[in-house]
Amino acid sequence: MKRGLFGIFTILAIVGCFAIASLAAEPIKLGALYNLTGGMSSIDAPALNGAKLKAKLINEAGGLLGGRMLEVIGINTKTDQKATAIGAKKALAMGVVAGLGYGDTTFVMASAPLFQRKGVPFVTSGATHPEIPKWVGDCMFMTPFGDDDQSFAIADYTYNKLKARKVVVWTDNSMDFTKALSKFFKQRFTELGGKLILEDFFMMGDKDFSAQIARLKAASPKADAVFISAIPNEAGLTVKQIREAGLTLPIVSGDGFDTELVTTVPGPRLANDVYFSTHTYREDTRPEVVAFIKAYEKEYGRPPENAFAPLGFDAVGLIADAIKRAGTTEKSALRKALAATRGYKAVTGEISYTRPSGVPMKAVSIIGVKNAKYKVLDTWFPKQ
Amino acid sequence: MMGWNRLKWFFPMLILAGAILVFILRSSVNDYILSIICFAGINIILAVSLNLTNGFTGLFSLGHPAFMAVGGYVAAILTFPVTRKAMLLPALPSWLAAQQWSLLPALILGGLCATLAAFLIGFPVLRLKGHYLAVATLGFLIILQVLITNLESFTRGPLGLNGLPLLTNLWWVYLWVVITIYVCWKVKHSSLGRSMLAIRENEMAAECLGIPLSRTRIMAFALGAFFAGVAGCLWAHLVTAITPTSFSVIMAFHLVVMVVVGGSGSITGATIAALMLTSVVEILSPLEENLGAYGISEIIISIGLLLILIYRPRGIFGTQEPAFLVKQRQRVSGEVGRSLSYQNGKGGTS
Amino acid sequence: MVGYIAQQLVNGLILGSMYALVAIGFTMIYGIIRLINFAHGDIVMIGAFVTLGLVISGQIPFPVIIILVILAGALMGIIIERAAFRPMRGAPQVTGFITSLAVSILLQNLGILLLTAQPRNFFCPDYLQTVFNLGSVSLRTIDLAIVVIAVVLMVFLVLLVRFTRLGMAMRATAENLKVALLMGININRIIMLAFAIGSGLAGVAGMMWGARYGQIDPLLGFVPGLKAFVAAVIGGVGSIPGAMLGGYLLGFAEVLFVGLLPPIYSSYRDAFVFIILILILLVLPTGLLGRKMEEGV
Repeated sequence: MKRGLFGIFTILAIVGCFAIASLAAEPIKLGALYNLTGGMSSIDAPALNGAKLKAKLINEAGGLLGGRMLEVIGINTKTDQKATAIGAKKALAMGVVAGLGYGDTTFVMASAPLFQRKGVPFVTSGATHPEIPKWVGDCMFMTPFGDDDQSFAIADYTYNKLKARKVVVWTDNSMDFTKALSKFFKQRFTELGGKLILEDFFMMGDKDFSAQIARLKAASPKADAVFISAIPNEAGLTVKQIREAGLTLPIVSGDGFDTELVTTVPGPRLANDVYFSTHTYREDTRPEVVAFIKAYEKEYGRPPENAFAPLGFDAVGLIADAIKRAGTTEKSALRKALAATRGYKAVTGEISYTRPSGVPMKAVSIIGVKNAKYKVLDTWFPKQ
Repeated sequence: MMGWNRLKWFFPMLILAGAILVFILRSSVNDYILSIICFAGINIILAVSLNLTNGFTGLFSLGHPAFMAVGGYVAAILTFPVTRKAMLLPALPSWLAAQQWSLLPALILGGLCATLAAFLIGFPVLRLKGHYLAVATLGFLIILQVLITNLESFTRGPLGLNGLPLLTNLWWVYLWVVITIYVCWKVKHSSLGRSMLAIRENEMAAECLGIPLSRTRIMAFALGAFFAGVAGCLWAHLVTAITPTSFSVIMAFHLVVMVVVGGSGSITGATIAALMLTSVVEILSPLEENLGAYGISEIIISIGLLLILIYRPRGIFGTQEPAFLVKQRQRVSGEVGRSLSYQNGKGGTS
Repeated sequence: MVGYIAQQLVNGLILGSMYALVAIGFTMIYGIIRLINFAHGDIVMIGAFVTLGLVISGQIPFPVIIILVILAGALMGIIIERAAFRPMRGAPQVTGFITSLAVSILLQNLGILLLTAQPRNFFCPDYLQTVFNLGSVSLRTIDLAIVVIAVVLMVFLVLLVRFTRLGMAMRATAENLKVALLMGININRIIMLAFAIGSGLAGVAGMMWGARYGQIDPLLGFVPGLKAFVAAVIGGVGSIPGAMLGGYLLGFAEVLFVGLLPPIYSSYRDAFVFIILILILLVLPTGLLGRKMEEGV
């Protein structure tokens, strides 16, 4: 009898220990939705790498909320909207405390509303349409600046510093991001007093820009600069082909040009006079940036592929910071904490959600390319 | 005659059992599983209706997603809440901007618009054969995508319509799965269906027997398009977003895969293949997530597909339905069809 | 304006050369075993990556690289034929089509898994990038090389098919596989050869694609594969001269459409190409040079 009682106690004790241990160690799950295969994978894959890296660093430093590990569940949605909707529901069913993901507005809009419906915060790492928070609701948070900010920044630079007065605008007409970017650039540039002399279009996946280049060459009056609204896949190609055609006018763009391809594809001889506005991290010397690049190279054996990598990193950082401040992973407390983010020191610049639009106030870097070398030429600050 | 008696009860019982299953599932399973089941259902509608053209009639169409897009966009514009329309689609004509329909009429109108599109495109294009038809229907899909991308005042261009009301649920999907399978089953075992099979097996012989070729073809095409349109609406109101790339060339390929794996012409086969392919993707995804090797599930699926095709080149069920589901009288016609197709060698030149 | 049009025509010629090379392989394989091979585009991708590997690995002269790439493409074609297509010979055509899709998905995702989805800079030696002007038309050495190599390979192929015993055997097989078999032609060898030649040409096209545009990624094969399918159909599937013609027509059509119409129509390009295609097919249901044959997929 005594032995039996003792046995039961032992079992209870063991079970109890396990229960407490598992409670303490129960990881905090984040659902990271990204297109890791298919057409968008070159943009989204680095972002997930960045996100996982941040979680790893946090965990190595002891985790959150007294030792709970942060688990980033990478869900591949295959550049497919059906998979996106399923992926979002899967993340929610797994009990994630927050979602993050995507470098493109279209996919955010196929997933974030599902998080909104459940009241779970969703942080996009790379989608930049300034109206996303308005479309989705109060659970939607953006890591990057809005397209209006980055377009205004480069428009100001083009007009004031490059002294361009007449521009040609090229737009990738197959994507929302590129169309929005061009829209804001044209708006600002003409407000400043500049003139738009020609608009040209192409489609994502195009490889041959000879017709557009021929028209750019023939444009009269002569253009002082060309604004190219493209994603990384076309960034290097356009620069290479424009320079090969013997045109030397400045090429300006937004964060779609923030990729090594801009220098490697044209090569040092041709990668000149390219200016783009982007997240403040490339060639930056802030300690966060240096540490990030070092950690990324150590983890993946290569430098960050494009700006989406640090953005993914920051998205997890934002959520982790909010969890710390909220002291809990409860969704509405977490949402409130996220909304109260002020001066979070992210790799891509300080993030504060002070605007009514919900778009973070972030500085914008203007990067110039000369002989295939990047250099920060200016930093632009948004107005309230 | 015993078989007939049994079958008379079998189908209603099956439908009832399905309904009970839907009821249980809806109360016991989480959103994620439910959404997979819904998509599996939509894939069944698509695969079974594509079977009308690609399976029964032997028309190689890659245009199914185009009809989904027609149906999906029509319904999405109609069900979009008026307030949201005012915000997102300011350029919409006012008579359209004032509409806010419920799901069923929108579904039916979407399906009818897809049917209309099928008639318009079908009349010229269905004269083509084999891969020429495949390219032409593929072309239709791409033309439509380009149009949707550029008709911004109705479609918002590449951004698409998002934040649609979540109207699709498992009941709606189940209802349409039942309707689709029922209609296709009836068609297959009617004189129209036999005409279709005859055209597939031997066009010239069919024509000599007095089967109106173009009319039968266009019937198959248009009926398939109706269900594709309906599926497109269900899809749009399940994802709650629709963009020009929602219904892609790759989707067309996947649908053809379902038809072929199931067995061209077999309704049961298409149903099972649709279920299988939808669930395999989800079953494999944890593997990807744990390994961190994204793309591996596609690799496994494609190898699996190759193995199925090597060992069952005519699909799981061939053109047949499983024996216990078919009336004696009906089976005979199926048998004839099969033996004919073997004699023809169906492009199998070896 | 004349200079502008001349430049556009030259661009169309270059694009057409690449389409034609891919389309030839497509049509050869179709002609012999009635297989629509969607994995053909992915051979283009493999050719591009093999070239990049060879260029990076050391000082291999350009002509040697071309030969190595042709061999690599051919080898890939043979492997695919043995592993995927031979086991299901005799199955309905649509089964072959699905098989090729499966192979294509397999190759693309292997590419993503092994090489990551990031586009890569396609390193091209400087002497291939030198720009020179012919009147008002500016060209790079590589552009000229693309056209010349494509034409040489096509002439070579036509001679092979027309005037050698092997070519005769291929034509006989394409005409009627069963009869050819009865005549003692080694069918397996002929089919393998068709895959080898077609894939070799696709491999070279991959090299050209990379060298012309300077950037490659594991998904680059989809577009040339689809376009080659279209080109082959325009020309009449199964006809080698038809594929060449179709390839060049498509190349010219795409470039001129973007080049000659107002910019806003650029985004309608693909719709335009397919409208023309459908119109051609409605007038000539078996393509420009295709023969009427019994069909049934």
